[in-house]
Amino acid sequence: MSSSDEHIYAPKLRRGNFVGFKTLVMRECHRFLRVWNQTLVPPLITTVLYILIFGYSLGSRITEVQNVSYMEFLVPGLVMMSVIGGAYQNTSSSLYIARFHGNIQELLVSSMSSFEIVLGIILGGVARGICTGVIVSIVAVVMAGVQILHLPTALFFIVVVSLAFASFGFLSGLWAEDFDRLSLFQTYVLTPLTYLGGVFFSVGMLPVIWQKIAMANPILYFVNGLRYAFLGISDISLPVAIVTVLFAAIVPFIACCVLFHRGYHIKT
Amino acid sequence: MTPAVQISKLDKRYPDVTALDGIALEIQPGDFYGLLGPNGAGKTTTINILTGLCNKTAGDVAIFGHDIVDDYRDCRRLVGLVPQEFNFDVFVRLRHMLVFQGGFFGLSRSICEARADELLAEFDLTDKADTQLRNLSGGMKRRAIITRALMHRPKILILDEPTAGVDVDLRRSLWQYLRRLNAEGTTILLTTHYIEEAEALCDRIAIINEGCIVAVDTTRNLVARLTTEAVHITLAVPSTNGMLENFDDLQVEATAGSNEFTVTFDRRQTSYHSILERLIATGVRIDNIRPAGNQLEQVFVSLTKQ
Ligand SMILES: Nc1ncnc2c1ncn2[C@@H]1O[C@H](COP(=O)(O)OP(=O)(O)OP(=O)(O)O)[C@@H](O)[C@H]1O
Ligand SMILES: [Mg+2]
Repeated sequence: MSSSDEHIYAPKLRRGNFVGFKTLVMRECHRFLRVWNQTLVPPLITTVLYILIFGYSLGSRITEVQNVSYMEFLVPGLVMMSVIGGAYQNTSSSLYIARFHGNIQELLVSSMSSFEIVLGIILGGVARGICTGVIVSIVAVVMAGVQILHLPTALFFIVVVSLAFASFGFLSGLWAEDFDRLSLFQTYVLTPLTYLGGVFFSVGMLPVIWQKIAMANPILYFVNGLRYAFLGISDISLPVAIVTVLFAAIVPFIACCVLFHRGYHIKT
Repeated sequence: MTPAVQISKLDKRYPDVTALDGIALEIQPGDFYGLLGPNGAGKTTTINILTGLCNKTAGDVAIFGHDIVDDYRDCRRLVGLVPQEFNFDVFVRLRHMLVFQGGFFGLSRSICEARADELLAEFDLTDKADTQLRNLSGGMKRRAIITRALMHRPKILILDEPTAGVDVDLRRSLWQYLRRLNAEGTTILLTTHYIEEAEALCDRIAIINEGCIVAVDTTRNLVARLTTEAVHITLAVPSTNGMLENFDDLQVEATAGSNEFTVTFDRRQTSYHSILERLIATGVRIDNIRPAGNQLEQVFVSLTKQ
């Protein structure tokens, strides 16, 4: 097994297949950047509309929330919503379509480990989450005249939340057997949790019983974490929000690695 | 020498089907190996297990000595797969697909680009390099899927029905390419439904039926196994029944009043020579005489029919 191997191009891998991994991350980014008008512009439009309706027009009739104007209060939640949507959609559609067309096999037959494949696809989603988050932040900050108090904390939440929802997207892309089911998770779980996740209100505004229920919604922690980073106010203490978001990212990520390695819904 | 492929006691069970039932197979480096079998016999399943697209139920499989489960990455870099069905991202451009695929095998960008251009030229696809895969014709997609498998110059190339739906010209040129690749040292495993293709290309053949290997031999020996011969005979004028009585001891198929008939006989008991002698003795005029059917095809049919 030495000289006869020489005509093979593919390198024998001692550590990891870093080139393969890099190629995959680039392909995943290429995928959403190529159709930027379908991936990056829509969340921007949504955010601008929310700011126009809830911020400029209705916002003036709503009293200050925790000493900031309603408009300012809204901005971090809107950013978080677009980060969640971007990260989730990228991995769920990429993986579902790759299963549907069968081109997931291009990766399965290559000399990449299943961990590298999972991480590569998920980092594509993280990249989209970050891109969306940054673009939306810039526009929202400019329109609403908000200043970001703790930039590193803001970036931390944007990155880790992207990782969490890229992993959830990966799981639903693996699980869905048809196109309708792909949107089920988004319709029944993601959208309600996001809208009830404190984007538009502070938990203190809810009746006591609903306050308790709202505390079970992880998205509440992410939105408040980012709101703390932007404005210095939060319904949730920062360490609790950090632990929650780390947990929400790591558990589904491990699930992705285990299921993919076993070939769940991708190998017969 | 380490076999290129070693399969032993391989089982694959789906909830309601046993696709493979204790398969054993050994392919030597440099072989041009054919895997033949009727629809649903388990060819694709075997290939998918070799390439990591399907999880085996039981058994051992190794590629050049590497276990396909424990050393899967070492296996993958040695293998190139041309799958039975097109599995492209149809919106990607052909050349991009090739460059990405090389990248997944760990090849640098510059090697990938050079190799992609070399293969595109080789397969006459250079002017389609920037076309999305969905806009290629069936034959072009076939060539594209073969180039993709060759990007990393695999040591063993596995082709699952590579010439299905391909025109005669393309089939001949693919044959030529595969022969050359094999002569240059690439081990090839091929499945096909065209017996003629297996006979033309493969040195060794395994016949698989309902998840079991029913024969493994060199192509030549398999053909030699055939003891029943059949000849088609065409007469210049329609035969009379009296003439056919001469062949009563043999199996004769003829339609009354027709000038064509088929004689089937056992080579161990009857010779071609005696058939001809008896024909001539009846005084008929022979217009044409030729062996009926492809010989390997007859072996195949006799081994796989229930
Ligand atoms: N995903 C699956 N789930 C259940 N049964 C399957 C699956 N894939 C294949 N089979 C069954 O396994 C058996 C072998 O199929 P396989 O695809 O290996 O046949 P093949 O020899 O490649 O046939 P063909 O010449 O038609 O391509 C068939 O009975 C098939 O129905
Ligand atoms: Mg098949």
